Amino acid sequence: MVIKNKPETKKLKVVKKAASGKQRVAIISLTSCEGCQFVLLDLGARFLALTELIELVDFRLIEDMEDDGGMLDLVLVEGNPVTKENEKTLLEARKRAKVLVALGNCAAMGGIPEMKNYHEGVSTIKHVYKYLQGINNPAIRELDNFVKVDFVFPGCPINGEEFLAYIPELLKGNIPVIPDRPVCVECRKAGNRCLLLDKTPCFGPMILGGCGAVCPSSRSQCQGCRGLRPTGNVKAMRTMLKTMMSDEQFQNMTEIFGLRDDLEERERKDRSLRITN
Amino acid sequence: MNIKINHIAKMEGHTGFMASVLNGDVKSAKLEVQEGIRLIEGVLIGREYKDMSLIAQRICGICPVVHNLTSIKALENAMGVTVTSETKKLRALLEYAQFIHSHALHLFFLSLADFLDMDNDIELINKYPEEAKKAIRIREYGMEIVKVVGGRVVHPLTNEVGGFKKAPDREALKKLVQDSDEILKIALELGEVFRGIKIPDFSRETEYVCLDKKGEYAIYDGDVISNKGLKIPVEKFEANFKELQKQNEVIKRVEHDGKSYMIGAIARVNNNRAKLREKAAEYLRSLGWSFPDYNPFHNILAQMVEVIHSVEESRRIMLELLNSNLDEVVTKEYAIREGVGVAAVEAPRGTLYYHVEVDAKGYIKNVNIITPTAQFLSNLEDDIAVYIPQILKLSDKEKEKKLRAFIRAYDPCISCAVH
Repeated sequence: MVIKNKPETKKLKVVKKAASGKQRVAIISLTSCEGCQFVLLDLGARFLALTELIELVDFRLIEDMEDDGGMLDLVLVEGNPVTKENEKTLLEARKRAKVLVALGNCAAMGGIPEMKNYHEGVSTIKHVYKYLQGINNPAIRELDNFVKVDFVFPGCPINGEEFLAYIPELLKGNIPVIPDRPVCVECRKAGNRCLLLDKTPCFGPMILGGCGAVCPSSRSQCQGCRGLRPTGNVKAMRTMLKTMMSDEQFQNMTEIFGLRDDLEERERKDRSLRITN
Repeated sequence: MNIKINHIAKMEGHTGFMASVLNGDVKSAKLEVQEGIRLIEGVLIGREYKDMSLIAQRICGICPVVHNLTSIKALENAMGVTVTSETKKLRALLEYAQFIHSHALHLFFLSLADFLDMDNDIELINKYPEEAKKAIRIREYGMEIVKVVGGRVVHPLTNEVGGFKKAPDREALKKLVQDSDEILKIALELGEVFRGIKIPDFSRETEYVCLDKKGEYAIYDGDVISNKGLKIPVEKFEANFKELQKQNEVIKRVEHDGKSYMIGAIARVNNNRAKLREKAAEYLRSLGWSFPDYNPFHNILAQMVEVIHSVEESRRIMLELLNSNLDEVVTKEYAIREGVGVAAVEAPRGTLYYHVEVDAKGYIKNVNIITPTAQFLSNLEDDIAVYIPQILKLSDKEKEKKLRAFIRAYDPCISCAVH
């Protein structure tokens, strides 16, 4: 999905509190590696402190209780709706939730699972499963193809610090806006030598920051898991990267975190803007 | 009579369970997997080898380290790339750190509540705040090692074909060594707690398979052995173990000689207990098991043994690394070559296998990934079929509870199994 360009905080209608007076929250997981849930759990005491402030209606990684099926103030959704069951869970969650948030790259942009959309369906599945009968292999589509998504925690995986920074606003029913800054801002702050100077193709300048530049800080190129910045100059970036990688390599790299369809959409928009102007 | 559980929480991935029992006989007992397919092996084909670990480790958010290590080792074997002994040590350290945090999570947060008759961790933490703090501290220690060495906990970044993109910070490693005494002490205290829990009685003979290496508790390297006399190099695994794809099943099960077998902490402790470090060996003795021990519930105690061992072993490796030139871990130049490579590494849940074929330009031609859960799934179902008659007289709710506990004791990872 494309992160919206309107940096405007929208107030949602105030909701009736749960009996406990706490906000009712569910964390649900569709098909994924569940790494984003683990980022939450990895916050340790800080995550547990958060659970004290809310009523955690559903978080199956740590509890085995029946969900009461009631209204939710906030639902965090990880992964893609790959199976029919996944799809049902997602639609149900949207109906119950005041605010629905995509948790991580798979939910927001299709992620690693979306890669299979770019492979020839039958030959890819045949490679993995010799006997095809009864195995459902639908194309991967991001959450916003199924339901309205109010906010995205981007990244593969999400950044735990960023989660803690924005969750209080979300619990109040406000939709935060991630500042439109490239990964480069934090990368420079970390004192890293720019990978582009060494001709290592890095997507940093066109990608939305907020990750602490964790990849370039480990001498790994940014591959865009957080998605395009609303105002990034994709065309200039593409021209520069052409000197470092072939078109095929570029396309392959944009497929890893589901950036390819977003880039295509951006290019279409840029083209139509030029025409209308 | 049918026993049906719609969704089993507190484990990685989505699965339910279904059994049918007729006149006290279990006709079938099956995990019903609800995970969608991602075709990770399929999408790797035609891509550059450098993408492989990045994509493959995203099979699993709890054990990305072992997917990263195994895929890279398989690629190195395919292309004939050698790495320094420092690099190997640093990779083993990563895997031990993965053991510490994955086991600590499973032991305390996923499994313990089952034995204390609770169904939610918030309740568990409120009732046992001191123990919870200890479990979190141990888990954080394991995660800290992964962060220092790998650059990030979930989906580490630094390891690559040929070595590491970056050497770990020496001061950070020193600090981890300093902390290790405290962590070992806490691990032993937590071990006391686990020794005190009441473990159900159950036993069914099976074959225990794991890696084996002379003089060490094999984690990163070794041959494949079993307690039934098997000993083969990793290259022979696919010829000896059969991957089965059944219609309607998204998990490809694995059999050895037409039978199910068991892997993971319980298998390793059974086969390699003589090579455990001092405190871990002492703790294992204190449990008073007789070997071979065939109680699958003991898997969680075996994980506790391995947490203690992993803390001792990581300390030893870190001291060795601090006494060597850390820059030796940084990737050296190598040639891209055509070839076939296989590799195995012990994941927290059992041995993980990768098979990869690379062409002369470094593009991937073929991949096969055999995960621990795919291997022990049939063993789990065979166990449950024997277990159900023991719990038939219980109420439906109690039966369901017992079965959930049984399945969770195996520590299955459905995301890995389906991939």
